[in-house]
Amino acid sequence: MSETVAIRGAAVAAPRRRGEGLTATTLIGPATVFVAVSLFAPLAILLRYSLNDFDKATKTMIAAVTPANYIRFFTDAYYTSALATTVEVALLSTIVCLVLGFPLAYVVARTQSRFKNLLIMAVVLPLFVGNAVRAAGWMVIFGNKGFVNAGLMGLGVIEKPLEIMFTEKAVIIGIIAVNLPFMVLSLQSVIEGVDRAVEEAAFSLGAPPLTMFRRVLLPLALPGVLAGTILTFILAMNAYATPYLLGGPLFKMMAPLVYNTFTQQSNWPFGGAIAFILMAVTLTLTVAANLLIQRRTKR
Amino acid sequence: MPNRFMISRRHLMGGATALAAGAALPAHAQNRRIVVGTWGGDYSRLLAKNIEAPLLAPKGWDVIKDEANDPPRRAKMLAEKALRRGSSDIQGLSAANMYEVNQQGLVEQLDYDKIPNAKNLIPAMKYPYGVGHIYSGKVILFNPKLIKTPPTSFAEALDPAMGNKLGIIDIQYQYTLVAAGMASGGSPSNIEPGKERLLACKKAGARIYPSNEAFAQAMKTEEIAVGIMWKARAVQWQNAGINVETVAAKEGVPMYISGFAVPKNAPNKEGAYTYLDAMLEPSAQEAFAVDMGYNPTVTNANVPPQVHKRIGFTPDEEKRLVDLDYGYLATNDVAFQEWWNKSFKA
Repeated sequence: MSETVAIRGAAVAAPRRRGEGLTATTLIGPATVFVAVSLFAPLAILLRYSLNDFDKATKTMIAAVTPANYIRFFTDAYYTSALATTVEVALLSTIVCLVLGFPLAYVVARTQSRFKNLLIMAVVLPLFVGNAVRAAGWMVIFGNKGFVNAGLMGLGVIEKPLEIMFTEKAVIIGIIAVNLPFMVLSLQSVIEGVDRAVEEAAFSLGAPPLTMFRRVLLPLALPGVLAGTILTFILAMNAYATPYLLGGPLFKMMAPLVYNTFTQQSNWPFGGAIAFILMAVTLTLTVAANLLIQRRTKR
Repeated sequence: MPNRFMISRRHLMGGATALAAGAALPAHAQNRRIVVGTWGGDYSRLLAKNIEAPLLAPKGWDVIKDEANDPPRRAKMLAEKALRRGSSDIQGLSAANMYEVNQQGLVEQLDYDKIPNAKNLIPAMKYPYGVGHIYSGKVILFNPKLIKTPPTSFAEALDPAMGNKLGIIDIQYQYTLVAAGMASGGSPSNIEPGKERLLACKKAGARIYPSNEAFAQAMKTEEIAVGIMWKARAVQWQNAGINVETVAAKEGVPMYISGFAVPKNAPNKEGAYTYLDAMLEPSAQEAFAVDMGYNPTVTNANVPPQVHKRIGFTPDEEKRLVDLDYGYLATNDVAFQEWWNKSFKA
């Protein structure tokens, strides 16, 4: 609290007294330095590594400056297909999160119930359990003799167990379950800020519910849609535990690929390159979506 | 204003003194502290039960575990290569991995005079850069309920005719390649002939599991009925009630040796040597055979006959034990992984 006061003081005081600028710098400095060092220094090192060569026989790095690792990624269908799968899974799960999350967020935002807090808690509840633990739960449900298959076979709906575990379906379901609360919370906070009166005005002017949603609510809630979409998309692009545990050995997504390249193959240069490509693609798609939606809002 | 600075400086000095004192503490305690890098789970628990508690704690040694699978631990060793003081004193690794970290210049060349118990080591378990702690062999596992004529060779187990009853473990790619190579006329030094066999098995519906545990689960639920794994694991799974029997393949029994190596920059090498010596004590070796199903790497351990019958090998089978060609595997590992990931798993 006192820090905030001090910074504000330094910012508005006029004329400035000697030493106050210094105080502000001292207060902001440590956090800035910490973030800069702990975020940018490793990134810089990783970028440098990604330009190195790799000796396969001894699994060690050889100092060099070569784009070979990046070229290798884009010229090998194995890696580009991993990137394509990652983008596809991230887009699909984000869209489903948005479609499922919006009505839920709307209800949570608009409810007058005294149990509203409990409702929000219930949305957040899944986040109390780690991703890996949740994936383990899904494994029990999806397995050949798991809950779903045993149930359906017991009811005589199917004869042979459905292959859910170790497929893209399982990964997408798993990621949606992880990301949905983030989408709902982002949307709910923005919808709450949309005055109920504007909805009522639309209705009183004769708009059916869908038109009201399309012409009034959605445009006003767009910042929430944007925040929720970006958040869930980034989380899905970088998902590790869920694809690793539910996708199985044959399923390829980027984050497990980065980990495998670093640890299993000890190939830091190539692992670094894959990490940067993943980061760049995520960043580009996020910025593009942001610009697109902003342009729509202006129009 | 000046007063404020006085106070903060005093505080700063106080903090710095406390920090310095804190930093000095581990330096004093370090002599009696051994940091052991190891896999988690049963192995770590049994190291504590059979080595650390009975043999090291009474002598005042304090053992701290750094638990993780071996790839991240090896990555950490590589990352710490340039440091004068590393973060671990001793690392549990397979023989193949010990070879690899030695090639990378990460581990100490051992002075066997400092390990009195090493005089009882089976010669194959003694490396210049590491010591074998336990060993088992890669054997065929099958479910007698589902497989009526037990396979006798890798060729009969890794056979496309097994269809989707055959399970293959992803992380066991090296041994799977070696076994398939041996089944198809190759050897531990030439796995190439086995590739075609594995592709045919995959095409015929062989299932691939990410981990040993996932494979065991599939054996238990009868999703699969045959595969290859360490005999020791088969014994553990039998103990857990999984209906599985083992066969030592005709072509040979590739050995799995797990041991310990000492990083070059280990802060407490004396502790590391003490640990190496303690793990070779007959009492510890016997306990691992009973608790974990692995064979002792020393000749003076007395494993009860009924235990040996389950975990060990008959004299005839012992003749078929083959060590892997670690140089060949290490040099070609990247190529093998690429083939495994891109061609076999594709």
